[in-house]
Order: sequence, then structure tokens, then C-alpha cells
Amino acid sequence: MNYYVADPHWSWEIVGYFFLGGIAAGSYFLAVLLEWFGTEEDRPLARIAYYIAFPLIIVCSVLLVIDLDRPGRFWHMMLKSEVAKQAMAEGFPLSGAGWRTMLHAPILKQWSPMSAGSWGLAVFGACAFVSFVINVWPERWPARWLSKSWPHAILQVFGCAGAFFLASYTGALLSATNQPMWSDTVWLAPLFLVSAASTSLATMLLIARWKNVGTLEARERLAAAEPLALGLELVILGGFVFSLGDNLGPVLMTVRGNVLIFGTLTLGVLVPLLLLVRIGHNRSWSIPAAAVCVLVGGLILRYGAVTTPGELLRRGPMVADAFSPEEGRAIGQPGADVGNHGAAIHSRSKLPEE
Amino acid sequence: MPEAVGFFTDTTVCIGCKACQVACHQWNDLPAKRLELNVLSGNSYDNTGSFSDVNWRHVKFIEQFSPDANRSQAAWLMMSDVCKHCVNAPCLEVCPTAAIVRTEFDTVYIQEPACNGCRDCVGACPFGVIHMSERTHVAQKCTFCYDRLKVGLAPACAQACPTQSIKFGPLNQLKKDAKTRLSQLQKQGETKAQLYGADDTVLGGLNSFYLLLDKPETYGLPSKPKVPSRSVIGSTFWSIFTGLLVALGVLFRFRERAKPEVVPGASGSEVRP
Repeated sequence: MNYYVADPHWSWEIVGYFFLGGIAAGSYFLAVLLEWFGTEEDRPLARIAYYIAFPLIIVCSVLLVIDLDRPGRFWHMMLKSEVAKQAMAEGFPLSGAGWRTMLHAPILKQWSPMSAGSWGLAVFGACAFVSFVINVWPERWPARWLSKSWPHAILQVFGCAGAFFLASYTGALLSATNQPMWSDTVWLAPLFLVSAASTSLATMLLIARWKNVGTLEARERLAAAEPLALGLELVILGGFVFSLGDNLGPVLMTVRGNVLIFGTLTLGVLVPLLLLVRIGHNRSWSIPAAAVCVLVGGLILRYGAVTTPGELLRRGPMVADAFSPEEGRAIGQPGADVGNHGAAIHSRSKLPEE
Repeated sequence: MPEAVGFFTDTTVCIGCKACQVACHQWNDLPAKRLELNVLSGNSYDNTGSFSDVNWRHVKFIEQFSPDANRSQAAWLMMSDVCKHCVNAPCLEVCPTAAIVRTEFDTVYIQEPACNGCRDCVGACPFGVIHMSERTHVAQKCTFCYDRLKVGLAPACAQACPTQSIKFGPLNQLKKDAKTRLSQLQKQGETKAQLYGADDTVLGGLNSFYLLLDKPETYGLPSKPKVPSRSVIGSTFWSIFTGLLVALGVLFRFRERAKPEVVPGASGSEVRP
């Protein structure tokens, strides 16, 4: 584990984006599945899912812009600022020279999850927008034409690909750093992906019940998929914990690490599984109660995942010291809060090998 | 094309005078952030504590004592730390806006007008070098005195170093000097002396590399820093695998439930979904 890094201070905006982005992506994916493979009864549920996806993506975009230290430069994520400014100076969009220069402005670094994620979010947002419009105004001309033709199917394929990407790249983004815990595992991405499936199912179940959308059978179909997603989440969570190896000890010495692992495990997976499988559908409150637990668990997962490295850095090698009390503390520096600050503290610390 | 340049920091001759820190502040017009508070860290002679948006150089003071009750043996290591200008620079790799670039001198430079403050580079740097400016809200780190290099001057820190602990020059020459110095120390019995970042084992090589008298962790340097993109393939593979499982699982559930099933005991035409 690398304790010598600085904390990027990603906080509630990023937690919110990861959580809501997962629900948006999962909802879109479920909507397409319901449309393609469901029955006529499932159509209202698919419509609900499209209604969820696009507004949430708008919220996600706002959260991402707010999180930037220079929000006014959000467009730098997709366009090289100096090239775009030059194109504007050359008269873009009213001149040919401006257009020619602007063609060189887009920037995509496919090996950088944040760069690829910006494009993924844009593609998914565009698909979610069109699907949203089709479902809000189904009788209008463009929607009527689109919904009954192959362009809509192509759009849905792109939308599903974007949804899959959006649900998982957020975990890859965390792993593609040198932060403690994040960089020690590649299982955050699949964990976020499967959590996106479970939380989007939970959201749809709650809204369908609240607004009384779809038939009971259609809602039961959704509810029947939830235990499957939760079972898979349990397996992937196990894979994540296992992948931490020796680093699990320091993670469990933090409050947020415990919230991440045990909070997600109990509230996000085991309790809803118990409610859905053991208590069953015959009790009217079991499905909504399970759905609420899944949503809280999904939020806890993102909160724990995003904030645990910050706590590890604030507590510094002290968390590792707990496992080597003889050698693990610098003389004259008991309990110092060092993070990446004090080489003196690290000097006699026995840190776990990477 | 100008020659690739770098720093070779020989920690064995560092005296902790902080002339490099002062020179860096002075040349780059960086404020002494904590001066008005008159705060002493209590950590040896280190009162800036770490890299920050205004401390692009940081002199570390590492006090080592023997574990016996009287602390009969003591050692004091000092090291002037700075951005490593890595060959495979994690910050440059992850920067989504291409604000971080490699210069013609093979150094890593942040173009402030392009930075939008996403802080991805802060999380990616394995040395905790990059911090966000509280004043301009963009990422900040050592520029390798790019403005001085352009006019043929040595970086301010190297120019100010009175003991030549910070050596500036063409990389190839610095590496030769470093090997010579290492063998000299080893002949003198300094068995723990080692070079950090002089070869390509650490992020493909560090253009600012070090001669250390103890293991890297002692100096607050990770022994195995990672290139961020190394995790992307693993994350992608497991995500695709999980995505397929989720999709197939949900699909089978839907189809299974959607299939019409014959109600036992009913007539052939009576089905329910």
C-alpha cells in the first residue's frame, strides 16, 4: 500500500455521481431488456426506466462539473482548450478555417478512465435523451418514426454499451491511481457494475410500486431478478475483499473501510437477500423494504470506496503499525497524523509489502 | 532538439539548509504559506511538512535512533525531494485535459490554462507531489524551472544548492556520475547505499533520481510505484465478465417468467403468463 500519495479529496459529489450514475445506467439497460425481451405488460416499466435514466444523467453531469476546481473549464475534458480557442479566433462556427481547426480539438485518451469516461457519459447521455424523448412524446413525429425503426434499435445498442461503460468505468477510474486500496485491486469496477444492476432494479421496484405502474406479474419479474443481482454482488464483494490480500488489515482499521465492507455486505446484500428469498413476496412490505436496503447499501458502497483511502492517508502508517507493534512506530512520533507528510514517521515503519 | 535533462540528488551530502526550497519559492514567486501562523511542526527541522501547492520542493529530515532505551545510536538523513519527472509519468498518463505535457527537455510540465481541476493527477502521482492551488484552483508542481531552461539556465534549486547535493545536467551524464558515486560509497562500506529511479525499474526511470542510504520507504518513497493504466485491462476484463453474467441472469429471469405456462387441470386454451 502506498502511503506517500496526496489525497485528491473526491467527496460527496463523486459519491453522488457514482451512485446516481449507476442507477441511471442500470435503468437504461433494464429498460432495453424489458422492451426487447419482455411482454406487453412490461412496457410501462420500461418507460419508467427511461424516465429515470435521463434526468439522473443530468444530475450526474452537474455533480461532476461542481466537483471540478475550475467548473467553467468542464469542456476541457473533451476538447483541447488551446485548439478550441484558436478555432473560435478563426471564426468557428462561421468559417471553414474555424471548422478545420476545430476538427483537431476533440481529445480522447482511451487509457485514461476519466477521459474515456467523459466521452462515455456524453454518448450514454445522448442515447438516454433520445429514448427519454421517444417515451415522453411517443405520438410526435420524430419519436413515432424513431420508435418503430431500426435507428432506435441501434440507439439502444449504443445506449446499452454506454450504460455498461458508465456503470463500470467509475471503479476502473479509482483503480487507475496510486491511492491506497483503490490501486490495490481491479475489482472495484465489477463491484460498481453489479451494484448498478441491483440499485437500478431496486429503484424501479420502488417507483413502480409507488406510482402503481405495470402489472403485479411484471413487477414480480423485476423482483425475481433482484436476488440474482444481489447474489452476484455477494460473490464480487468477496472477490474484492480477497483481492486486497495483506492490505485488508489496514483497510479494516479504518471506520470507512468497515463501512465499505460490512455496511455493503449486511445492509446492501444480506438483509435484502433475506427479505426477498427467505421472507418472500407474500408480505407486502418485504419487496420495498429490500429495495430501500439495496439503495442504502449501494450508497454506502460508493461512500466507503471513495473515502477510505483518504482516511488511510490521514491515519498514515499507524493503521499498518497495528500489525507490527515492535517495529512499526517511529520513536518520538507516537500516533502522529502524517499521511504523506512525514518521511521521519515512515523511517522505522514496517509497511506491508505491495 | 534539446538534450534530456534531470536532477541527481545525492542525499549523502545534503545538509538540510533548505536553500533549494527558498530558491524555488523565490524564483517561482511562491508564498510562504504558514509563515503568518508561526507554526512549528515538531517534526525535526521540517516545518513545511510535505509538498503542497506552494512547496514544490520539500527537504525531509529523517531522524533515526537505535531501539535501546538510551537511544545510544542516532542517524540523521536529509533529502531534498521534488517532482520526479517520471519517464512513464502517472500524472501525464491520466490527465484527461492534456494539461500535463512532456517538454522538449523531457520534463513534465502542467499547462495551467488547460487544467480544469479534476484532481485525477493528484490521485495518480505515487509520490504525493501534485496539489491543487488554493489561489488559482489548478494543479501545481515543480516546473523544472522551464522558463530558466528555455534561456539556458539551471533550475533555481540546483543553482542554489551549496553542497551540490542537487546536481543538474544531461541525464546520461548524471547517471554515469551517480554510478561512480555509488561505487565510491560502497567501497567505503556504505552497504545500504542505493540508487532510486536511475534505471527503468521505477516508472520507466525517474528524471529526478536519488542516491539513498537506506531503503526507499525510509525516505518516504514507494519502492514499487505503479503506472495507473496497468489496472485498466484487469478492471475491463472483470467488468465485461460481470456484465455478461448480469445481463444473462436478468434476461433468463425475464424470459423464464414471461413464458406462458399451462395451468394444471385447466383446459388446453387456458394459459397464464
